[in-house]
Amino acid sequence: MKLLDKYNRISILVTILVIVVTGFVYYFTISYILTNQVDKDLAVEENEIFDYVKFNHRLPQVFKSADLKIHFQPIGQNTVPRKFKNTPYWDERDREEESGRELLSWVKVNETNYSITIIESKVETEDLIRMIFFITLGIVLLLIIVIVTVNRLLIRNLWRPFYEILGQIKLFNLTDQNSIKDLKTDIVEFQDMNHEISAMTVRVRHDYLELKDFVENAAHELMTPIAVMNSKLDTLIQSSNLTERQGVLINDMYGTMTKLTRLNKAMLLLTKIENKLINDQEYLDLKKAIESTCSEFQDMATDRDLVLKINLTDVWITISHTLLDILLANLIGNAIRHNKTGGEISITLTNEALIIKNTGKYGALDEHAIFQRFYRSPESEGSGLGLTQAWQICQNCGFKLQYSYDEVWHVFTIILKTAV
Amino acid sequence: MKLLVIEDEAGLRESIRDYFTEAGNVCETVSDHPAALQKINMYRYDCIILDITLPGGNGLDILRSLKQNHYPDGVLIISARNALDDRLKGLDLGADDYLAKPFHLSELRARVSAIVRRKSFNGNQQVIFNEIILDVEAKTVGVHGQTVKLTKREYGVLLYFIANKGKVISKNALAEHLWGDGIDAADNFDFIYSHIKNLRKKLIDAGCKDYIHSAYGMGYKLADQ
Repeated sequence: MKLLDKYNRISILVTILVIVVTGFVYYFTISYILTNQVDKDLAVEENEIFDYVKFNHRLPQVFKSADLKIHFQPIGQNTVPRKFKNTPYWDERDREEESGRELLSWVKVNETNYSITIIESKVETEDLIRMIFFITLGIVLLLIIVIVTVNRLLIRNLWRPFYEILGQIKLFNLTDQNSIKDLKTDIVEFQDMNHEISAMTVRVRHDYLELKDFVENAAHELMTPIAVMNSKLDTLIQSSNLTERQGVLINDMYGTMTKLTRLNKAMLLLTKIENKLINDQEYLDLKKAIESTCSEFQDMATDRDLVLKINLTDVWITISHTLLDILLANLIGNAIRHNKTGGEISITLTNEALIIKNTGKYGALDEHAIFQRFYRSPESEGSGLGLTQAWQICQNCGFKLQYSYDEVWHVFTIILKTAV
Repeated sequence: MKLLVIEDEAGLRESIRDYFTEAGNVCETVSDHPAALQKINMYRYDCIILDITLPGGNGLDILRSLKQNHYPDGVLIISARNALDDRLKGLDLGADDYLAKPFHLSELRARVSAIVRRKSFNGNQQVIFNEIILDVEAKTVGVHGQTVKLTKREYGVLLYFIANKGKVISKNALAEHLWGDGIDAADNFDFIYSHIKNLRKKLIDAGCKDYIHSAYGMGYKLADQ
């Protein structure tokens, strides 16, 4: 819920509540006052009757009136308690029932008691109250409209610096150079916030650069000792009197050195891809690139008796040459490396997508974890970074890399264009 | 040939010197920037193996100094920084080749041989090992004057072997040389065996002696004996 909505909701709710309560109080007060007024009128009528009886010793003649009815009833020696009460009033002229007010009293005329019932219509009072109600309702509506409008304008204006800062934070990217700009606002809270966020981004970027430098330097620093070890191994195998057993050991060491080198290179490369440092964009023939990658891997595929099925259409894309080579080498290399002997690889290229399918030694992989760093199947000899690189490259180029498992096929799909 | 190794890492410097020192080769070494400048201003070399990160200065300055004085020495840059920028900067400044650390000594040797061959005055585009003659321009191989048809990979293997004649070359080094970064997809290098086998067979069929030997199951060696 937006701040404005939340604020509006609360303020409108409170306004309505207050107005409704006020309306009730208003209604009861006015109703009370008006009823009192009617009661006074009734009392005046009663007094007139008493006066008339006192001087004339008989009941007065009753005339028909539109809004007043007087009725006498002999009650012998009984008396009735004097009281006011609400009662319906039958309006003969309008032929409808209205609400009315009744005064019950009694009078003694020539030793006989008569009850007096005076009923007055309250229709005018009701009209008055109804009018007051509608006016109140109108005021409520007007007030709500005014509150919403004012809130909208006011809040939008007051919170503008906030939204500006928010916009900048949304656009903020650790790897970009742009920082949070200073805001022109005289509101201290926003100035504070802007200042603190500015300082925070500077700090974060500084830490990030330092960490990045560290990773890069660490990887680079490792290269030299690896180079020394490698060269020592190369020198060691020149010895003339090595035994077969020593040869096997040295071979294992070469294998480990190769792994270490690959891992280090992969880490450096991933950092570079993530930081978008490879920018040799070109308009390239994807079909040709795939064919050339396949021919590079032909020896390895033949060695494992793999059947390669290629079905390519002409597709041109704009991408870094280096990145495309890495992407294809990683995906096609994986398809060969993780295949079973005598397995199959199918590469399909259409205008929409590049699909690389391969059979494998094992079942489905975890599609959520597969693109994470250092995720690899237990039997894999790889660095665990190849698919992360591929995923990151696709991300950088606006493609989408997906994995799925279909019966026997591991399927990697690069969606080049989202369907229109 | 006469080589100068400018490298601050003692272990690597010594390995390179050991690997290159043999009959007919002179390999000198220096470990820092001032000594390197002194050397290159006094002597000429067929090839200088230059590390970029040096104590007392940047290796690229040495390259600049060489080029300013129009010295004809071949230069091969070795660097732990495989950054594209460094590579391009080095090649722009006139280096003949660039090799990222870590590398195999056999690879270094093949690269140095190529540089020296290109720099040689007589424009000799032939690589000769006994009765085998490689024309690096046309990429053809002849034995006893007869052309031997080799695949691209087999030719690459042979050239690499001859550049490292008498040395044991590990399967790793050979695979990385022939397949480059693509080799990362391979878990083992057994498929190299078929290329070597075919190459040997073709050479023997052409009347060549069998020079290529397997070494301790971890590599190969091209040698007279």
